[in-house]
Amino acid sequence: MRSYRAVAAVALCALTGCYSGGGPAHSVDGGGGGPAMLAGAPAVSYAIPRVGGGNDSVGAHRGSIVLMNFWATWCPPCQEEMPALETLYRRDRARGLVVLGIDQGESPATAGAFARAHGVTFPILVDADQQYASSYVSVGLPTTVIVGRTGHVVRGIDGAQTLAQFEAIVDPLLAAK
Amino acid sequence: MKSRAGALAFALAAIALTLAQELYPAQTWYHDWQYIAFLAVAVVALASYAWQARNGAGRRLALALIGAAAVAVAGLLSGLIGPDTVTVIGTPGTVSPIPDLGVAAFFNPVDPAGLARGGTTITLRRRDGAAVDVGARPVPLGLAVVFAQPRPAAYVVARDARGNRLTVTQPANASFLSPVLLFRQSQSIHDRTLPFDTVAVPAEHRVARVLYFSPADLAAFGRTPAAGADQPAAVLSVADDGGAPQGIALAAPGQEADVGGLRLTITLGTYPVLVVASAPQPYALLGGLLLFVFAGGWSLLPSRPSNSQT
Repeated sequence: MRSYRAVAAVALCALTGCYSGGGPAHSVDGGGGGPAMLAGAPAVSYAIPRVGGGNDSVGAHRGSIVLMNFWATWCPPCQEEMPALETLYRRDRARGLVVLGIDQGESPATAGAFARAHGVTFPILVDADQQYASSYVSVGLPTTVIVGRTGHVVRGIDGAQTLAQFEAIVDPLLAAK
Repeated sequence: MKSRAGALAFALAAIALTLAQELYPAQTWYHDWQYIAFLAVAVVALASYAWQARNGAGRRLALALIGAAAVAVAGLLSGLIGPDTVTVIGTPGTVSPIPDLGVAAFFNPVDPAGLARGGTTITLRRRDGAAVDVGARPVPLGLAVVFAQPRPAAYVVARDARGNRLTVTQPANASFLSPVLLFRQSQSIHDRTLPFDTVAVPAEHRVARVLYFSPADLAAFGRTPAAGADQPAAVLSVADDGGAPQGIALAAPGQEADVGGLRLTITLGTYPVLVVASAPQPYALLGGLLLFVFAGGWSLLPSRPSNSQT
């Protein structure tokens, strides 16, 4: 019996010996990380109004290479990036590239007037509720997200890009069948 | 007789303390040393009694006590090695991986009406693609339970003087371009702690600080909201890019407030956070409980004579 109690005491010590102290409850902010962390994830899609009429979404272009550019009229780097996007669109749309300029949080009239003034011919979508930028974890504007033919994110890029930088990403994707 | 009553008392106390983890999850005292020590002592005491009574008339009760000990071990292990309580705050539309549980939490998108209604769920997706919607009811997941807990939130719509929508940003938060404020910070005013958050309208070079007042807070400050006594409200203080104050207003939920050169509509409501808390292993808990109940009931039945002839 005495040996049994000794075993019980040892078991008690063993059970409680690994106690490391209860840590306080804490919070983790699930947001953040930036768009780069989304590579490989399925592309989230929302149907939103398109300047000129109708709705459009990234999901509607499954099977194409889709370049989504999140922008706003008040954002100077977005304005500087527009000519490169326009050149890329005109050059590669026949090869299957879809460029969607997705205005964040503004009215269709504001986004449309900007597009006309800057000679933008690629589709401009108006995301008044800023769903795309939220879901793609934009940490600033502009943000570019490139979606492959399978509907998965290939690259998420924070900040303005040059035409050469866009080409370096898009050309291999268009070349691959 | 005394030790039998003592063992039963230990069994019932251990079961109650372990069940508390299931019924009232996310209490920090489940990880306190006193809780751990009591369950450890209960396990040893129950095992000790069951060992002593294994061959005698009390062997049916011994079986019940083994069931109670299994429950106590489940509670003990949860307290010892289960995760500390973690609250995951996610922006609507985003995904937060939770590697410890092998799941990703999808914080579902919400519109102003949905935010005002509350009740938005969080979808957990496992690696195999299986998805489960998590609401207020705890969902077991290994050595943890997860549940959604509503927190104050605000949906912000900004317009210029002509009524055109304007981009809103959250310069102080990871969810930079979300129009939903989750009030991650708080401020003390007198004896009350009020949630607050910050939203910027870059096109107008304005920054608005949004201070959330619950109906109880409003009553404490002697204010009756225009929308009704059971409605929250927000105090909006607007400054320019340089921090110079431009205006302050008490905004009723869903009604446009003209303040500091902005027309702001703040829809107040709730959006869930995901709470991950430790919980006893469900099979050990259920098996132990069933053994305790059935063997305990069996022990109350009269025994057959041991020398009966056939």
